[in-house]
Amino acid sequence: MKTRIFAGMAVAAMLLAATGCGSKEAPEAGGEEDGSLTLGASLALTGATAKEGTYTKEGYEVCTKVINDKGGVVAGDKKYTLKVQYQDDTSKADVSAQLVDQYNDKGTKLILGPYGSGPTEAVAAVIERNGQVMAVSAGADNKIFAKGYRRSFAVLSPATSYVASMVQAISDLATPKPKTIAFISADDGFSKTATQGGIAKAKELGFEVVAEEYVPNQTTDVSAALTKIKPKNPNIIVGSVHLSEGIAIIKQAKELGVRPSGGFAETVAPPVPDFVKTLGTSAEGVLGSTQWTPKTEGSEKYFGTAADYAATFKSQYGGRNPTYHNAEATAACLALAMAVEKAGSTEPDKVRDALAALDTPSFFGPITFNDQGMNVTKPMAVVQIQNGKAVPVWPKDSAEAPLTWPGTT
Amino acid sequence: MAQFLQATLYGLLQGGLLALIAVGFSLVWGVMNVVNLAHGAFVLAGAYVALQLHEAFGLDPFVSMVPAAVVLFGIGYVIQRYLVNLVVNGPLFITLLLTFGLELVLVNLMLYLFTADHQSITTSYAENSIVLPGDVRIPYGRLLAALLALALTVALVYVMRRTRTGLSILATGMDRGAARLMGIKARHVYALTFGIAAAMAGAAGAAVGAVSTFSPADAGRFTLFSFVAAVLGGLGNMWGALYGGLVLGLVQGIGGQLLPGTLVNALAFAVLILVLAIRPQGIAGRAFYASRVEA
Amino acid sequence: MSRVEVDKEVTGSAKTPAPVTPVAPLWRRLAPWALLAAGLLFGIGLQPQLYPAQERLVSTVLMFVALASAWNLLGGFAGYASFGHVGFFGLGGYTTALLMYHLNMSFWLAMPASVVVAWLFAALIGVPLLRLKGHYFAIATLGVAEALREIVINLPKLTGGGGGITIPTFGAAAPTPWLGNDGFYLLFLFIAVAVVAVAIFVSSSRSGYALRAIHQDEDAAAATGVNTTLAKTLAFAGSAALTGAVGSAHAFQLQTIYPDRSFDVGITVLMIVMVVLGGAGTVIGPIVGAITIAFLSEWLRTNYTDIHTFLLGGMIIVAVVVLPQGIASYLRDAIKARRFSPLENVRRYRL
Repeated sequence: MKTRIFAGMAVAAMLLAATGCGSKEAPEAGGEEDGSLTLGASLALTGATAKEGTYTKEGYEVCTKVINDKGGVVAGDKKYTLKVQYQDDTSKADVSAQLVDQYNDKGTKLILGPYGSGPTEAVAAVIERNGQVMAVSAGADNKIFAKGYRRSFAVLSPATSYVASMVQAISDLATPKPKTIAFISADDGFSKTATQGGIAKAKELGFEVVAEEYVPNQTTDVSAALTKIKPKNPNIIVGSVHLSEGIAIIKQAKELGVRPSGGFAETVAPPVPDFVKTLGTSAEGVLGSTQWTPKTEGSEKYFGTAADYAATFKSQYGGRNPTYHNAEATAACLALAMAVEKAGSTEPDKVRDALAALDTPSFFGPITFNDQGMNVTKPMAVVQIQNGKAVPVWPKDSAEAPLTWPGTT
Repeated sequence: MAQFLQATLYGLLQGGLLALIAVGFSLVWGVMNVVNLAHGAFVLAGAYVALQLHEAFGLDPFVSMVPAAVVLFGIGYVIQRYLVNLVVNGPLFITLLLTFGLELVLVNLMLYLFTADHQSITTSYAENSIVLPGDVRIPYGRLLAALLALALTVALVYVMRRTRTGLSILATGMDRGAARLMGIKARHVYALTFGIAAAMAGAAGAAVGAVSTFSPADAGRFTLFSFVAAVLGGLGNMWGALYGGLVLGLVQGIGGQLLPGTLVNALAFAVLILVLAIRPQGIAGRAFYASRVEA
Repeated sequence: MSRVEVDKEVTGSAKTPAPVTPVAPLWRRLAPWALLAAGLLFGIGLQPQLYPAQERLVSTVLMFVALASAWNLLGGFAGYASFGHVGFFGLGGYTTALLMYHLNMSFWLAMPASVVVAWLFAALIGVPLLRLKGHYFAIATLGVAEALREIVINLPKLTGGGGGITIPTFGAAAPTPWLGNDGFYLLFLFIAVAVVAVAIFVSSSRSGYALRAIHQDEDAAAATGVNTTLAKTLAFAGSAALTGAVGSAHAFQLQTIYPDRSFDVGITVLMIVMVVLGGAGTVIGPIVGAITIAFLSEWLRTNYTDIHTFLLGGMIIVAVVVLPQGIASYLRDAIKARRFSPLENVRRYRL
């Protein structure tokens, strides 16, 4: 009996191998049919960064809706309806890379970036290899762009400016000026790069760095770092972290009696609504750095000003205000659409060149890229939680309110 | 000096909560030889129950420990009776896979129902602290959580050792065949055990919600720490889970001061491996199943 | 189940004739090897047919075939369910990455080196660990894997820590140029064939019987003269070495590896699910399981993007309840006994 099974399987295998004597056709280029231009996006819809991945998706959705409402993307003499295809990378970098490869097979050459520096780095390598083009919305680590990739372009300010901007803001606005800073950093690549950028800036501006502590990525317990920092009595504690660590720092600092006279400044966490919702009044006075606020300067034809963008987003998403994750995603999609328009075609190489040469103001700030593909001209904004809202306080000309100093009660 | 005292106290408080999380896990493993990979998901479910009650009725999370425990007891009983009982006689990796699948289902269900938001249940008092000399602080919330955890564990030990139900659970754990011969309904007892374990986890979850933040991504971490605490303390032994939790909390607290902060997790696993290599029955335990074999 | 090959030198006395040892006919013993060769040819023949992303998918499937078969050597044959096998996967990957990054070593040297490192590490750690049984062994191996991950995270100057490490694969800095989708497909194909070959060899040799004996009753096996420690340690080390080889190739393919992903416990669980659903303790089981689960999970992810993990969990539960001995064993027993009802399985293991 087993013989028959074995024999049958062997025959089947041979047959299949025999039929394997054709070759596949090359994938059709373009990713366009029936007047629509499809961009590919592999996003974290489930997994550790599902929240931020969903924000990114919303940003892409707003972009397609607004552009299509205004007539779609005009390339040469053809008009395209903009569409984005989504796949879930479960917050994992290698899955992201595989999905982008799959897009390439189907001929989708124009890609919108995933969420996070890890997946972005993995995808950038694939983009380079396949001759695709990517507009990066949420991968800020400078290390990604130091590898000589020429086909990925990031609309957001790089990681080094996340902390440096807050340090600069404190130096500019805080009176009396604080003297000592302690840094708490998550130990992933992006946070570490941001921390190094911040420390360099702090030393340059004459602050004394009294501590540099690292915590496990995505942890909810930073008590060890806080306990070590407490005896050093820093004037400010700066956190280069994500949402979970950011919330934990504030909560546990209160528990442990860690009260820096100047308060706290954190990357990523404060502008996210969860931060205020979870911490309540403890969040007051915390500084945050953000890629975008509704007061950012600049405008263009599709989205208008930052305030216009906020209004559009609000109406599409039931009265909810956009976060910077939404805005940076829309900006990436916008950049890609603009590049297609400028190039007059959807050919990846032409789009790539047009993207590299792009230099335009927008609701997100100036969008232009240096030769590494980073957007270094766009400044980050610094916000402060005042009365439960993230209020822009720096740069001065796009500030909504003055800095409340000291930052803690 | 104050630094170490702070770290020690804080670590012990965390350990108390860990102990409550681990006690159910240890019970299930010791009695039924089932490793419940979905245990962390139960903790999370307890936290969400407390959150919903807080948002709907303003109920204090420590009070919500009771309804959370009741709800989770029901869920645990049903899962064991009608699902896990189906594979309990099989080789161990069958139950492991079943509970793994269960974890995926539960965590994703919660992700769908409650989104990936980081949640916390804020109370007016939890973050304030008792201040000791040297500015060493004992936060009220964590103190309450640790004390309640201790109380629940003691209550559980009492129930196990003194009531008929508890004794029937222990008996079934020792020898299922003999217990059945004595008229004990094994299926029901197993379901009861699992339900109690889930209830403990749910109560712990409510406490976690009060003192820390949680989101569906945390389920795996809770399970992992239950492992370490349960094995450290000795499987099937409720005092053991308490010791294990406290020791783990202590190790992490003090270790966090002596070593760079990122090594804390590594320390926990190093402790685990050491215990398994030197004394697999843990601090307080007698091995119920899978005893160590000398080569 | 193959026939028992008894030593042919059993002598008989004058009164009792020497027992006649039934030996399986030659073609039957060769059948698994023939099938393996056919599989190899099929794999090679399939390649030109596939688009790059499909190629990548099949490479991943082959990778899991190799991983599942390697796990099966210890977990299926000997019954020692290791829950930390991903530790060897990551160890192989990081060894290769470190050798190629810091010492600019060629991949073709780094991979064998990783295999050796994994083998040595497992042999060393097997000494205390293999004395444990059942759940204790599972937890201990899990602890080892997690500890490895933490060590990697905490040596940032060496390994890049949480930020990952990148193997140079472009330009002059690269010791070995990146193999390309085609190259990796073939690499994984050969690795998978090699692992399955080892499995076939072990399965029908004395070592395989030693492992199976240990699985059924370790004390009795020891009593009949099986050197259980040696058998277990060799199986553990061998399984680890093969897993390390796969990890090495995977690291090179990915170019940038991160500790969280290289030591992800989910990979171990996937390995185990594949083996169990395919049929633990058989040679074909892990292959069937790996192919089924890999394609299933991919199909779910593409078509039910929002809830694919949920559905996967549900399917695992159903499969484990209904088919606990795995597809291969179920089919084998069902065809033999002509009883196809899966409810039999449920009755077998329920309380």
